[in-house]
Amino acid sequence: MGKAYKNGLRLAAVASVGALALAACGGGSTSSDASGSAAAAGVTEGTKGGTINALTLSEQWQHVDPQRMYTGVDIAFFTGYTTRTLTQYKYAPGAEGTTIVPDMATDLGTASADAKTWSFTIRDGVSFQDGTPVTCEDIKYGVSRTFATDIITDGPAYAISYLDIPKLEDGTSEYKGPFLAEGSIVAGFDKAVTCSEDNKTITFKLNRPVGDFNYAVTLPAFSPVPKAADTGEKYDDNYVATGPYKIQEYTKGQKMVLVRNENWDPASDDYHLAYPDQIVVSFAIDAAAIDQRLIADAGEDKTAVMVGQLQPENLATIFGTDDPRFKDRSVDGYDPYVRYTVINTQKVPNLKQRIAIAVAINRAEVIAARGGDFAGDIADGVIKPNLAADYAPSGMWTDMFGQAVPDTGDPEFAKKLIAESGEPMPELTYQFPQNPVDEKIAASYQAALAKAGITVKLEPIEPSQYYGIVFDPEKAQALIRSGWAPDWQNASTVIPELFGKTGGFNLGLVDDPAFEAKVQEAAAMTDRAAQGKAWQALNKEAMQNAWVVPTVFGKAQFLWGSNVGNAFLWDPYGSMPYGALFVKSA
Amino acid sequence: MSLDTADASAASPAAASTEDTFAGISLRRLAWRRLKRDKGAMIAMGVLILVFVTALLAPLIVSVLGLSPYDFDNSALDPALGSLPAGSWGGVSADHPLGVEPLTGRDLLARLLYGARVSMFIALTAVTLIAIIGTVVGIVAGYKSGWVDTIIGRSTDLLLAFPFILMLIALSPVLTQRLEALGLSPENARIIYLVIVFAFFGWPYLARLIRGQVLSLREREFVEAAVASGAPTRRILFKEILPNLWAPIIVYVTISLPTLIAAEAALSYLGVGVIEPTPSWGKMLADSVRYFAVVPTYLFIPGTALFVVVYAFNVFGDAVRDALDPRTGRNLR
Repeated sequence: MGKAYKNGLRLAAVASVGALALAACGGGSTSSDASGSAAAAGVTEGTKGGTINALTLSEQWQHVDPQRMYTGVDIAFFTGYTTRTLTQYKYAPGAEGTTIVPDMATDLGTASADAKTWSFTIRDGVSFQDGTPVTCEDIKYGVSRTFATDIITDGPAYAISYLDIPKLEDGTSEYKGPFLAEGSIVAGFDKAVTCSEDNKTITFKLNRPVGDFNYAVTLPAFSPVPKAADTGEKYDDNYVATGPYKIQEYTKGQKMVLVRNENWDPASDDYHLAYPDQIVVSFAIDAAAIDQRLIADAGEDKTAVMVGQLQPENLATIFGTDDPRFKDRSVDGYDPYVRYTVINTQKVPNLKQRIAIAVAINRAEVIAARGGDFAGDIADGVIKPNLAADYAPSGMWTDMFGQAVPDTGDPEFAKKLIAESGEPMPELTYQFPQNPVDEKIAASYQAALAKAGITVKLEPIEPSQYYGIVFDPEKAQALIRSGWAPDWQNASTVIPELFGKTGGFNLGLVDDPAFEAKVQEAAAMTDRAAQGKAWQALNKEAMQNAWVVPTVFGKAQFLWGSNVGNAFLWDPYGSMPYGALFVKSA
Repeated sequence: MSLDTADASAASPAAASTEDTFAGISLRRLAWRRLKRDKGAMIAMGVLILVFVTALLAPLIVSVLGLSPYDFDNSALDPALGSLPAGSWGGVSADHPLGVEPLTGRDLLARLLYGARVSMFIALTAVTLIAIIGTVVGIVAGYKSGWVDTIIGRSTDLLLAFPFILMLIALSPVLTQRLEALGLSPENARIIYLVIVFAFFGWPYLARLIRGQVLSLREREFVEAAVASGAPTRRILFKEILPNLWAPIIVYVTISLPTLIAAEAALSYLGVGVIEPTPSWGKMLADSVRYFAVVPTYLFIPGTALFVVVYAFNVFGDAVRDALDPRTGRNLR
């Protein structure tokens, strides 16, 4: 779960959560002949050498530990440089970027006919930074760490959800990870993840058919960890690299330096392009300063990229006038996120009251405060149109609630709904990370809901503590700012996560057994078209329940230095294609 | 520094026109007369009165003009420019005389006037508390001496040694939560928090100043006379000594007011000041800095207001000090 960045980049303003794949992948040819060349990757051939500088407002990466890493930009960064995964997204602009190619595996994996068993074979020559070869056992050990949910926090839970391991009565897995000396039942895990005789082929046995499991293994959560080097919670600071770079220095609040990993064998890797000699990340730089440095484009900043996004005040300067200074080094496009506000079902159990909140919110003001035309489009659900197979207009703002709701909200309709709800509207508190954009949206909510007679208290939270607080059911309030992006091209990474009882991002504490049953049914479907229809229906049902108020289908804007090659908005993570970047003239 | 009439008149080779009246003139009137002669001080006072009156009457002025500090106005923003104000000069129009805030379209004149209320309230309340606490503690410490003085002296030293800004930032979440638990809204809790912290860390400076004054005053004949005639301590402190302390108190107050207004601005800039939707000058300034390149007028408006008020206070405070203190040369011409 991505926690917001220190001071609220706009991406952070979003909940840089599980930002993974998106955009129309659909029928993209998943060519298995990735040859490692730039041409095959869909980007231009770069030159080797030089230093890429990454500038970020945040004090540190959320996590370096692969099993705990879940923020889109973090995954994009580390899989590009230090962390090899079985498969990974192609470095290519546009929808092609959401197709997967093999990385550590020889191909895109082999599924059994029922898609309940998946095998991947590790390429020859893949090794850790100390030269030890990566074996199936290392990947198996890495996967096992996900189950230690008390130590390995914040990471994706797909291994727990998919692997065929008996569950306990409370719904958690009977296997509790590798750190417990006793009391952990290992047999089930050993049956679910098996290694071939030569320790090269890993086989996952799943508890249901998962046709796109080879997308799930793009997550670093399925990457290897050497058991001997595992320091549990501290592995965040002692990560052992498998990719073309290793961590030379990581000083939180200051900088991270990546240098070439001499034990990385290019012959074993057709995915990583590994152009620069060094990558330097500078932390804790003021967002406005990052923008100004990239606008100025002087000295070292010529080879700099921004980890966050441009601030709203600079968008007009950069995109408004076709300025030749920025034309070839900026991008404005859709990112994978849907921004929404959670209505906590424990605090507002009354459906009519939740709908009243949804219709009272002034969505036009939210769009304006996020940057007008640069913010994106008004959202009508938690599935975004670029998840084409699963998106259908929900009708939330046209007829779902019996009448159209204008973008500016409808306080009279809200009052009517509150009157019909049969109980007095409780006083609400809106929680949001304190940054210049979100506090404006908060002010808009307060004013818009006041017009419908709803009192809202504002609770700004220091950004780096934001998710820690709203994830605590004791501290979560009625209204919570959030955002989500699918982990890959399937709403199975959206609906169950947001509204399932055991979903990883169920901030609204939704507990609806009937809905849950339908989610399980949809998740098990093997007919992708039918599954898409099911997700569309469930998205609509979630909106009818007003568990969240969707506000914006978001866009992202980046600027980079003039000496950086292959920079573009990489669809799967809504980020730079870090692994493809190169220094044009060193 | 007892400013009895004899001293003052001796020090004032006043113009011939006042010669016939100065014999019976009171200290206050004398100071006022000196102050009136200072043109800069009079202008500064006029500005301050104007600011106070507009701040006080802000709701009235804003509603007469048909404005609101809280209402968003999307029509005043240009979506193609990323929600910057539409039109030139930061969106100045008949509807919005000083333009609008980027991203929201809230009216800047209305926010400036309401912001003055918040900034002034914080500064004035804090300075009042500082004056009361500082004076009382200073008098007691100076007059009592002995262990009372030692204890008070050490505790003021302790407070003075605190890294005040850091403490303010560190204490902010905890204390505002406590205040909210008492039933204050989050916006008001922040305001009260600022007042409390400013007062808590501000009084030791005044207390020290007052203590020094009292130390010399208590050796003066009129105090000794009061003691000899058996006056109770309270009377000596508040009837004999306090009237002689008004000058340093007033001077200290007029000089700390602008500091407090600026401190509120700085803290809002650091994110521990007032919160949305409450406007304050500091908050406006903090927000507008991000726009200095694209909407310079936005930065200019709260910046100018803050500058004018702080400058006026400083000029006025300086003049008051000169007027009350006969030993400064400037008014003796």
